[in-house]
This record gives sequence, C-alpha cells and structure tokens, in this order.
Amino acid sequence: MARADAPKTGGKADGAAQEQAEAPRKYEPKYNWMNKSRQWGVRVPPGKAGLKLGDLNVGVYGEIPGHWTDETRNPRGAVARRGMPPVGYAVRDKAGLWADSAADLYEEAIQRRWAPATDVPWNTIEPLPDDVEHAVCQVCTELIGYANVDIEAITGWQHRMSYGYHEVKQFLATAGFDAARHFECFRKRALVNGGGLGLEGPGRVNRLILESRGGWTEAVVYLLLLRGVFTMTLYKHLERHAHNDAERFIYGHALTDKARHVTYGLEHLKFAIAHVDDQRQIVATLFAFGDGGLARDLADPVLKEALAVIFGGSVRGAVKKGLAGYGDFMRDFLGTLLAMCRYIDVPRDPARLPAALKEFAPVGDVAA
Amino acid sequence: MATVENGTEQFDLGWMRRTGPWNTRAPRGKHGLTLADVAVGAYGEAPDESDNQTGRPRGAVARPGSYRIGGYAVRSKSEIWLDNASFLYEEALQRQWSSATDVPWHTIEPLPDDVEQAECQLATFLTEVEFVAGDVPARWVSLTTPDFLEPRQVLLAQVMDEARHMDVFRKRALANGGGLMQATGATSGFVGGIDLSRDFTEMSSRLHVSGEGAVLTLFRMGELMAQNEAEKVIYRLCAQDEARHVAFGIMHLRYMASAAPERREEIHCYLDEAEAGIIGAANPVGQLTPTSESMAIILGGGKANFDDGMNKVIAIRRRQLGEYKKRVISAGFGERFENGRSGVDRMIDHAA
Ligand SMILES: [Fe+2]
Ligand SMILES: [Fe+2]
Repeated sequence: MARADAPKTGGKADGAAQEQAEAPRKYEPKYNWMNKSRQWGVRVPPGKAGLKLGDLNVGVYGEIPGHWTDETRNPRGAVARRGMPPVGYAVRDKAGLWADSAADLYEEAIQRRWAPATDVPWNTIEPLPDDVEHAVCQVCTELIGYANVDIEAITGWQHRMSYGYHEVKQFLATAGFDAARHFECFRKRALVNGGGLGLEGPGRVNRLILESRGGWTEAVVYLLLLRGVFTMTLYKHLERHAHNDAERFIYGHALTDKARHVTYGLEHLKFAIAHVDDQRQIVATLFAFGDGGLARDLADPVLKEALAVIFGGSVRGAVKKGLAGYGDFMRDFLGTLLAMCRYIDVPRDPARLPAALKEFAPVGDVAA
Repeated sequence: MATVENGTEQFDLGWMRRTGPWNTRAPRGKHGLTLADVAVGAYGEAPDESDNQTGRPRGAVARPGSYRIGGYAVRSKSEIWLDNASFLYEEALQRQWSSATDVPWHTIEPLPDDVEQAECQLATFLTEVEFVAGDVPARWVSLTTPDFLEPRQVLLAQVMDEARHMDVFRKRALANGGGLMQATGATSGFVGGIDLSRDFTEMSSRLHVSGEGAVLTLFRMGELMAQNEAEKVIYRLCAQDEARHVAFGIMHLRYMASAAPERREEIHCYLDEAEAGIIGAANPVGQLTPTSESMAIILGGGKANFDDGMNKVIAIRRRQLGEYKKRVISAGFGERFENGRSGVDRMIDHAA
C-alpha cells in the first residue's frame, strides 16, 4: 500500500497509531488516476425507451474485436491495468458466443419481467378431473426438468465468457433468471391443485446439453435450438389447451421468454457459421446427434401420453383427439425447427431424420 | 395398470401411479403463491445430503435408468442452506427494476470536470466489481443440486441483479460527457479472492458478507454521493438489491454455524482473510488511491474540498467496519470481537 500512514489491520495498536487516530494526518492526494481514459467526452442520451445497453456502443466502447485477449475483468473500453493475474476464460472468441441482438434481448427481458407468485391468477385454478390433473402434473414435472437444465447449462457457461462480450453475459443473466422463474412456476402449478410431482424425464437430451464440451456454440445447438424449439412449441400448444387463466398466463409468458432464448440461439448460430470455417458442417453433425437423442427421449411413452390426455381432455379422449393433438404439436415443432435450420444455412433432409421424428416432418420439406 | 387400447395405439398409463405425494394443495395466500407456500409436506423437505445425480425436481419420482449427469459439488445442505431463501427470492422478483427506464437519466446535468472524472472512475470500478458478483454465484448455481432449489433461486436472482448493476454503472460512465477510466484489477485471480474459493461458504463469506456488505454501506450513502436524481435512484435501487445479497450470506453463515459447528474455526479463518483485505483494493472507500480519491472528490464536491471529502470517506469507512461487525455478530461468529482475534475494532479506531 502506497500510503505511509496506512493503518494496521491486526496486532496491537501502538502509540503512534493511537496518536494518528486522535489527530489524523492530512492526506495528500496523488490524482495519478485522473485523465486516464481511452475516450472522453461521451454523452449517450436516453432515447424513447430509456438508456439501453446497446446505445452505449459508441466509439471505442462499441469496438468488439473478434478475439478478446484480456483475461481480467477489464470493462470493454476502459484502460487496462497491466500485470493483473488472469481470471481464466474459456470463451474468448466473438464467434463462440456473439449475437448482435443480445443487448436488445437483455433489455427486452427486463421490460417483460413477471413474478409467478403474484402475476399468475392462481385463484382461477379449479379442481380438474383426476386423469387430467395427473397429466398436467406429469408435464409440469418434465418442464421443471427442462428449466433445470436451462439453469445448469447457462450458469455453467456464463462465468467462462470474456467480458469483451458483456452483452451476451448480460443476456444470459436474464435467460438464467427466466429459467429460474419457469422452474418454480411449474413446480407451483404441480403442487397447487390436488396433484403432485410425477416421474422424472428420460434425460437423453439433458445429457447432450450438459455434456457439451466443444464450446458454448455446441450447447446452443442442443439447449436453445433443439430443446429450446421443442419447449417453445410445447408451451404454445399447452397454452391452447390451458384449463384456466392461470395456466394460460404461465404458458403464454414462458413462451415469450423462450422465444427470446431461441432468437439469441438462432442469431448466434448464424454468426458463428458465418465466421468460423467448418462450423456449418459441425452444427449439422451436432443436429444429427441431437435428433437421435430426442428420438430416444420420445420413444419413452410418458410425455406423449400425458400430452395426449391434456390435448384430448381425458384418458378416453386421449386415444383419438389427444394423439391427433400430439401429432399437431410434433408437426409444428419439426416444421419450426427445420425452417430455423434453413435460416441458419444448415438445411436438413427430413428423409434422414430418425423414424420417430420423420413421421411428423412436414411433407415436401427438402434440403436446399 | 390402466390400459386403453385403440387398434395399434396402446396407452400404458403406469406413470399415473408413479408420483410423489398426491393430493397436494399448496395454500394461496395474501402474497399470491410463493415458493414458501409450495414447500408443503415432503416437497418442502431438503435432504441433509442430496443423492440426486440426475437433476430431477425435488419430490419427483426417480427413474432407475436415468443418467448421472448432475456431477454436483454442493450436495450437503449445510454447505449452502439458509432459512429465509424463499422470502429473499420472492422479494427479488417483486423488486426487479430496469436501468434503462427506472433511472431518470434526463436529470443528469454536466458536472465540473474533476467531479465527472471522479464519477467515471468510481463507475469504472463498480462495473468491474459487479462482474465478479455475477460470475461467481452463476458458477456455484451450476454446481448445486436442485434439491437445494431455494438458495439456488436466490443466487439466480443475484446473477440478474448484478448484470443490472454492471450495466447501470457503465451507463452512468457514458451518459454525461465522460467515459470509462482505468480498471483497478482488484478483481483479478488472486488466491483468497472471491473467484478462487473452492468452497461455497468460503466464497459467500467473502462475497456476500465482507465484499457486498462494504458496497451496501456505500450505496446507502447514496444521498451524500449523488450529484443528481438519477444517481440517487441508482444507489437506492442497488442498495435494495445488495441488502438481499448480504442477507443471504449472513443467514447462510448462521445456518452453517448451527448445522456444522465443526466448521466454525475454518469459517473464522475465512473471516480473518476477509478482514485483512476489507479496507483494501476491492473497497471504494478503502485505501486504494484511484477509488478513495475519487470518492473524496465526489463527497467533497470537487478537488477544492478534497479534505472535507476525505473526512467523509473515512467516516464511511468507519461505518462500513461497524456494520460488518454487526453482521458477523448476527451471523453467530461474534466471539472473534471478544477474544481479540478480529482487528476490526482497531481498524475502526484508526480508520483515518
Ligand atoms: Fe451488485
Ligand atoms: Fe450484490
């Protein structure tokens, strides 16, 4: 410490220190920190939607290089302090995490925040027939499991990302918080209406997501595209078949949240594919593994049956109307996923999907 | 087993009988349906040791064939638990705010150059330290079994809060004719730092209790520090958030003290380390030149009143130390102030 009169932080106070306490010595400022800025005179005004994160990207503060060498917590655009031990970041390339929309999605998530405890009209939930309540609770159990993987995967990567790309870290903070909300909200729904939790999911896709080691981009393929679009489509169809305003609110809001995650995922994959040699082919390969994992999860009858009971209105209705509803859901899911794959320039041939998925793939959907 | 047949389709409805405790009706209360409300019966019971390796929701039925993909480092309740986590989480949800729209940015008027430089130096520093407070809890969330969902939810809310803090100070630095200044490096990879803790309680004692405790005292001085309404609002809202983060740490230490008394001495060692650095580089009113001098300019109203400002810095430093002491006593580790182990009383006496 540079100060000659720095107080002791332990041991017995000696006479000199005692004296100081009674008559503090005048502190002589050094001001050696002043006038150290890479760009001064910046005045970002608030716009109609306030002062947004993305608005700050002016001058050096908006220079976002392809590789971020700094391994400390130097804020982007600040003057670095040399000689600081690195914190250690795994993701230091822009192509490994970037999406131009991250800053806007961050602000949007904050504007669209909701509180399950008080915003969901819980009082609109009335007792349901036992078979339907069983199905709702089973689906909620599955959805809690999905939210759990969102939480674990996002928080497992977030702290490994460089601060040169803070917009993405900021967005992921909202995505983790969204997942926390989904995690507790589906738990609340399962435990409020005379039911309980059901059977845990089979977990093959969970495993793919959590075992992604090849980088965040790989996790994005499994978590935000494959699982993300599956979950998003599920919310959409569950909202259509909601039994009360509370469920409608929950599925509707979870859907909006999930759409942001998927948007980031799509934009990131598009960016990564445009900037990394071979990335397009890698993503295609990852999808092939992902399809297999998903097909294996779906071979387990539990989720399908529970959804069919909800879509059919009862066990009796599940057989015809319910399975038809399940088919609608799966076709919607695969149609959306394959369209998104085309958008990121990884067109998929439905004929090569595993049988469990192929039967729902849109007819005439061919590789570009 | 209930079976419904329809040509080729056969429904095996066995899952209807594989449920956790059934007939659960969480009560809907005055504050809606809170996390505490759904902690009913077996669903409210977090195990002392979690054997959940598959990530299944607490209270759900396990599948014998599930993969062990959890790999959780935090599986003992005493390592992370606290009694009021549900309350802290629900409060966090109720008190979320937006740095884009809840701060009256238009109230910021040009300041004298010395004051703007001081504001920007402080904002640069705060942006930097908020990074840590977001990254580290995130990492621990990923390492914690979902059986301890309540503390995990609070930590997820903290990650969100810190993202907002990081961005509100960046916004402040770039809103008023200034810019970011020099990073302090106070958050680099030093042993004994918040980052490198290999135990959750060690991390929490350092992050929540000493680190964020010091920042909380500071933010509560926002009325003194603020040059305009926007800054007042920033400090007030940040203080609200920090109060929850600090409460988490204190309540966790309190739980740990009673549930794992064999770890008391170890916790005292962490507190020794924390106290050794408490007025150091990671404290804006500590003894690091860039931040304490900028604080003196802010509090004095300019370089011309530096001495007056520095006296206020020292007063805040004293208050920080006093509040830290109260928090540690509240957490159940007050004996260190009685038996001469802690240097905090001496630091308070000699804060100048
Ligand atoms: Fe903070
Ligand atoms: Fe905090």
